[in-house]
Amino acid sequence: MSDPYKELFGLDLDPERLKEVLGAYGDILVQIEKLRGLDLTDVHPAVVFEPTAPYRNKP
Amino acid sequence: MSQPLWQLPLEELAPAIRAGRVSPVALTESCLERIRAVDDELKSFIHVSANAIEVARKAEREIKAGRWLGPLHGVPVGVKDNYVTADMPTTVGSEAPDLSFPLRDSTAAARLRKAGAVLIGKTRTHEFAWGNVTPPVCNPWDLSRVPSGSSGGSGAAVAAGLCVTALGSDTGGSIRMPAAACGTVGLKATFGRVSRDGVVPHSWSLDHAGPLTRTVADTATMMQVLAGYDAADPVCQDQPVPDYSKAIGKPIKGLKIGVVRNHFFENLQEDVEAAVEKAIGDLAAAGVQIVELKLPLLEYGLGAIFAIELSSSTAYHDASLKAGRVAHYQPDVRMLVEMGRLVTGPDYLKAEQYRSVLMEEYRKVFERVDAIAGPTTPITAWKRGDWTVQVAGKPESVLAASWRFTYPYNLTGLPALSVPCGFDRDALPIGLQIVGRPFDESMVLRVGHAYERTHEWKQHHPPL
Repeated sequence: MSDPYKELFGLDLDPERLKEVLGAYGDILVQIEKLRGLDLTDVHPAVVFEPTAPYRNKP
Repeated sequence: MSQPLWQLPLEELAPAIRAGRVSPVALTESCLERIRAVDDELKSFIHVSANAIEVARKAEREIKAGRWLGPLHGVPVGVKDNYVTADMPTTVGSEAPDLSFPLRDSTAAARLRKAGAVLIGKTRTHEFAWGNVTPPVCNPWDLSRVPSGSSGGSGAAVAAGLCVTALGSDTGGSIRMPAAACGTVGLKATFGRVSRDGVVPHSWSLDHAGPLTRTVADTATMMQVLAGYDAADPVCQDQPVPDYSKAIGKPIKGLKIGVVRNHFFENLQEDVEAAVEKAIGDLAAAGVQIVELKLPLLEYGLGAIFAIELSSSTAYHDASLKAGRVAHYQPDVRMLVEMGRLVTGPDYLKAEQYRSVLMEEYRKVFERVDAIAGPTTPITAWKRGDWTVQVAGKPESVLAASWRFTYPYNLTGLPALSVPCGFDRDALPIGLQIVGRPFDESMVLRVGHAYERTHEWKQHHPPL
């Protein structure tokens, strides 16, 4: 993989800008890592797939 | 009336307009004159309607002919610049090239027009409603400070009397934070209560539409027009809309109000804490039973909202990212949109799992209490250009501090009201946040109004 950020994340930035973005993301990642530490195996996410949505009455 | 028309709340104006004591044309002219007088400094409007007077004249004719449409008839209302409108351009605060938004009325704008409101102009938003500063808008209480955001234009305009009420939108606190910072009332209704059709998306499962007003009764009036099912918004719920005016004036004695001591009372400015503790004490003195609570799960909320908001926003802006347009966004927004690519699918879904357990925790809390009260924000309006503030003696980024107490209610979708509860040592407004069960906006309005009517905060006006 010549540019993993571009190929894995679709982030097509020059190296200097990429460094800035990764640096800024560091503080947020600390919070997301905390979230990753929760065991939520048996919890259904708060996302509802509604196959009837296209059949709702549109105005 | 001894006060100028632009300074009066909707609850005083509406009966006077209906009775013919106040002319919609005179009121609209008063607001337009106010815009001309102070908005060069305040910068709350990005566009002022060219036909506001014409609409006001039509309203006046209709009312004189006995065709009064309701309390918003002939009343100037500001529309946040992320709601599309048929007769005014929408920019969402962006100067990036090749962006355009349709000239049609969002459902909220259409409902306001049908109620006879005069849509007086578009209020400034932080670019794409993705921030808490809303440049170049100033805070009317101190022009060297921000109005917060992202509905900063609406907050500043309502507080300074440039319009009577305004629309805002709230993804992590964007109605309630400027309401607190500018000394107005602001309501983020339950997710699914107010249609977001025609509101430019920021984060689909966190975005809420709602009003900013001068009084709680004014919010009830706005909600009566805005609330209700709309098939054009995929998440709008077909729930009955109560008569919100019935909540106004109802006693609160005997209600149970929860105070979540962790998270909401950690790291906040001393004056904010004192004002909110005083407000809670006043509610107790009014006969409310205060129930002390703890919700340890809140510790994980920041990671969850970042995962959802960053990835959702980046998905919305994906075409602009690929086309290179994001490079023309403001630096802070560009950074957030680019960062969103780094949130992984499992992180996003973990955040959605977390929302389920947080919602369940709040459901249990609402078995014990009727509403929850606490501070809207840990800080008052900060200086323009400052990116860190002193909170409890320590420096903290304004991005982290400002929304700490508001975003839990975007994650849970619960109705949350900000009502003024005092001023800090620099004469800057402080907000009290009142939260209710899903679709129980009536309860938060009831508690908010009971607090408001026993205090004189709404009599204070910015020195502008």
